[in-house]
Amino acid sequence: MSESWRKDSVYQDGSLNYGRLALYAIMIFVAIIWGAPFIWMFVTSIKPDNEVFSYPPTWWPDEPTLEFYTRLFESFPMMQWFRNSLIVATITTVLTLATNILAAYPLARMRFRGRKIVLLIILSTFLLPGEILLVPLFLGMIKFKLANTYFSIAVPAAANAFGVFLMTQFFLTIPVELEEAGRLDGCSRLGLLLRIFIPLSKPVIATVAIFTFVRSWNDFFWPLIISNTDATRTVPVGLAVFVGRGLSMRFGVIMASAAAATIPAVIFFLLLQRYFVRGISTTGLQG
Amino acid sequence: MSSPAPKKAKRATSSWISVKNDLIAYAFMAPYLFLFIVFLLLPAFVGVYASFTKWGIIGDPKWRGLKNYTKLLNSELFIESLQNTLYFVVLAAIPLIVLGFLLALLVNQKLRGRNIARAIVFLPHVVSVAAVGIIFKWILERSSGLLNYYLGLLGVNPPINWLGDPDSAMPAIAITTIWWTVNGNMIIYLAGLQDIPEDLYEAARIDGAGRWQEVRYVTIPMLLPVNAFVIPLTVIACWRVFGQVFVMTRGGPQGSTFTIAQYIYETAFVKFDMGVASAAGVILMLITLSFTVVQLRAMKVI
Repeated sequence: MSESWRKDSVYQDGSLNYGRLALYAIMIFVAIIWGAPFIWMFVTSIKPDNEVFSYPPTWWPDEPTLEFYTRLFESFPMMQWFRNSLIVATITTVLTLATNILAAYPLARMRFRGRKIVLLIILSTFLLPGEILLVPLFLGMIKFKLANTYFSIAVPAAANAFGVFLMTQFFLTIPVELEEAGRLDGCSRLGLLLRIFIPLSKPVIATVAIFTFVRSWNDFFWPLIISNTDATRTVPVGLAVFVGRGLSMRFGVIMASAAAATIPAVIFFLLLQRYFVRGISTTGLQG
Repeated sequence: MSSPAPKKAKRATSSWISVKNDLIAYAFMAPYLFLFIVFLLLPAFVGVYASFTKWGIIGDPKWRGLKNYTKLLNSELFIESLQNTLYFVVLAAIPLIVLGFLLALLVNQKLRGRNIARAIVFLPHVVSVAAVGIIFKWILERSSGLLNYYLGLLGVNPPINWLGDPDSAMPAIAITTIWWTVNGNMIIYLAGLQDIPEDLYEAARIDGAGRWQEVRYVTIPMLLPVNAFVIPLTVIACWRVFGQVFVMTRGGPQGSTFTIAQYIYETAFVKFDMGVASAAGVILMLITLSFTVVQLRAMKVI
């Protein structure tokens, strides 16, 4: 162990440090509180029917079984919901990246008339509660016969300003010299963006991509109102509607559905943790 | 030598260049601005307009002036939803801010395993509200729920009917919300903590400050700019609470968790009374905007 770690031991100068011991105890308590619901969900989902309501609660089933998962996938179009979620989140993410990268470039790097006002209007929408948009978007989609399409679920989410803000901030930090060197080589604006800005901005692009994807994957209110068929319904809406179908006491199947929806997200998160942390800490926005 | 003619020509060229420059800039922004205007800006204005009209799911809007607003303010259900939401904001926003800060302090300590603790607290962030809602519905279940079992071991008897009792339903929704979203604030505060220069702490220590005095006189004042956005964003998010309620209680029992967003949902998408729902949306917007302005004023940010 390195020198810096020795300082962190609960033993200091040969005696027990109660302050540090307390901090470790609190940290372990915190980890249990935030970890236990996941474990409980998973354990419930692999219990046989007669063990779900066992009292006192048991943290591991006597006879683990995947029966609830079989029942879940037999009774509900989970795979269709997953496919819908995947398609919707992909459309939103690709559209967001393409339009945001293009918009961030002039906002960060060009002087043009109206720059300040465009930025101000875009940023002011951070404070706009989205509920005000639901009725007009809904009526618009109905009017143009777009309800229950991937388009109607996915595209409005790409209007969100968070990515533009994040990328504009990042583009501002790229050295002017690089841009000038590119210009001397005869690069057009678009060439500069493609050959200099995008390669240098990979981390921020990844952050926006992952953030947008998860936000879209988990979005609830808008997909709930704009899709009411299994052909386009996303996973969260499927789960909520499915719980609403009077299965309120079948916790085994319900926990299997929650686990099926959660496990991919958790794996995704564990692989890409640092991008989430960066996205939140640089913008304050939380998906 | 310098005649006015070339000068004029030069000015003409430069203004032509600047127009061209403007055009290029707007061409780059055009795809995004199109999405932004069609799916955000325009709907926001239409939403405000709709609040002054009678508008069903089909047919054209009819102007009603302020009637939707007077109807709302005289509606017991709407006033109740305002009160319920305010109650939720108090129950959830304060812990979300304070606990977010305390968790950030904790996982910023040099403790072994702090990265694992951070990751575990952060995990609920990627889980959809539908899954969170149903997991907590099970944990909070009256007779076989995990929470009541452990509370029972601590001597809480009889078991609390969390989601079935009007007194405990909103606190239960708040607990769920805190578990689900406190991690966002934790991460923001953590980034703020890591930006505080170590010299400041050293200076405080030289002046004889203890651990808590360091927090009080260095950490908290240095986090003021962080608070300036954590607080409004948290409070706005709490005013908008929807998914948890929709999945866990649908506004019940006895309307005790019926929030503004729930009111908007029922009015617009169950009763199809778009005008009244829009007016409720505008009131929600006015509440969150005025809160933000008052708060930023109080913090002397604006």
